[in-house]
Amino acid sequence: MTPDVPPSLRNAIKRDLRPTRPLRSPSVRALVLIPLAVAIVLAVPGLHVFRSDMGAIGFVKAWGYSFGQALAGLVIVAVALRESIPGRGLSHGAIAATIAVGLAIPAALLTLTASTFDIGPEPGGALAEGAACFRVSAISAVPALIAAAILAGRAFPVRPAIAGALYGLGCGLIADAGLRLYCEYTVPQHVLLAHGGAILGAMVVGAVVAKVVARRQA
Amino acid sequence: MGPPAKKDVELDPPEAELCAHMKAYLDGEIEAFDALYAAFAGRLRGYLLSRCRDAALADDLLQDTFMQIHRSRRTYQPGRPVTPWVYAIARHVYLMKRRSAGRRARFEETLAADMRSSDGLRDALETIADGDAVRRALRGVPADQRQALLMHHVEGWSFVEIAARLGIRVNAAKTRAFRGVKKMREQLKG
Repeated sequence: MTPDVPPSLRNAIKRDLRPTRPLRSPSVRALVLIPLAVAIVLAVPGLHVFRSDMGAIGFVKAWGYSFGQALAGLVIVAVALRESIPGRGLSHGAIAATIAVGLAIPAALLTLTASTFDIGPEPGGALAEGAACFRVSAISAVPALIAAAILAGRAFPVRPAIAGALYGLGCGLIADAGLRLYCEYTVPQHVLLAHGGAILGAMVVGAVVAKVVARRQA
Repeated sequence: MGPPAKKDVELDPPEAELCAHMKAYLDGEIEAFDALYAAFAGRLRGYLLSRCRDAALADDLLQDTFMQIHRSRRTYQPGRPVTPWVYAIARHVYLMKRRSAGRRARFEETLAADMRSSDGLRDALETIADGDAVRRALRGVPADQRQALLMHHVEGWSFVEIAARLGIRVNAAKTRAFRGVKKMREQLKG
């Protein structure tokens, strides 16, 4: 015997039922962010100043690595959009691996690009320079974060904090891809606190935004 | 990173049938919803009952799950299995209910503690407990708002259930109950 739909439920569904176009796949939806990612990578050094050793590090290590990192950020946003679809959530291991790889990419690119790790701000200027880099990166991530939050919010993230943290990480990487064309410092404390801190900050903001959006939609 | 392309997902015959129903449902066919309900209601109720161990609550959660399935139907990707998608939604509905029940219990506990420790609040409680005053105040609330208020705050219906029963949108049910409470407060103060 098959159960019948309760009349009240059926009526409610019938009243609201109309043809609905399903969302496109997460990877296709993440492509929407490509122009924004390119604009962010170009705008961060373009609106401020290019690092003084652009010529010395070469085209590939400057532009190639930056666009590579932005592409990695887009892939992580696509992973977040996949996480936002019921039944397609990632395993804990996959989430941890995505976050670990995402955080390792800027560190790896810095290692491949820098010849020494002692280029830093003038004595006494570390805080101001660090704050400037953090601010530039954080502000640059905002447009991508808004777009990613809208894309994820159109789906139905059953674990919004995880989806938000992932797209925050992706957007943080995109912003940092522009920042590395602007800031040439290589001292670990500056890179970790200002650049890494901005990426972690974007993750936290993403998680909070996704939770708030999910609560408002509930 | 990406999932296998939807054409690569091989589905067993029952799942393929569910897929076809889901596609028809996305096209706006109510009969497809009936078929999905018939296919999932029993299994989902069993699943929800195993989680909450309360038959009445499981029935409520089942309705909420199908309402949520309806609201989220565009997140289903045609060609992919329907079952994991449905169960993920059911699990989410259950967890949300449990979370809100926990919050409500904590709130009521705090409120009860406050009531015990405050004479002023005890007086207020006595005033509210005064049946005549409450009945008078309720009479001053417009009928549609009173109905939503009583269904939610007294009988414990969810807004989704109220919306389904009254044939209105969920937001309208929330608004009616909210305005009803506001009106009742004014009546009790006045």
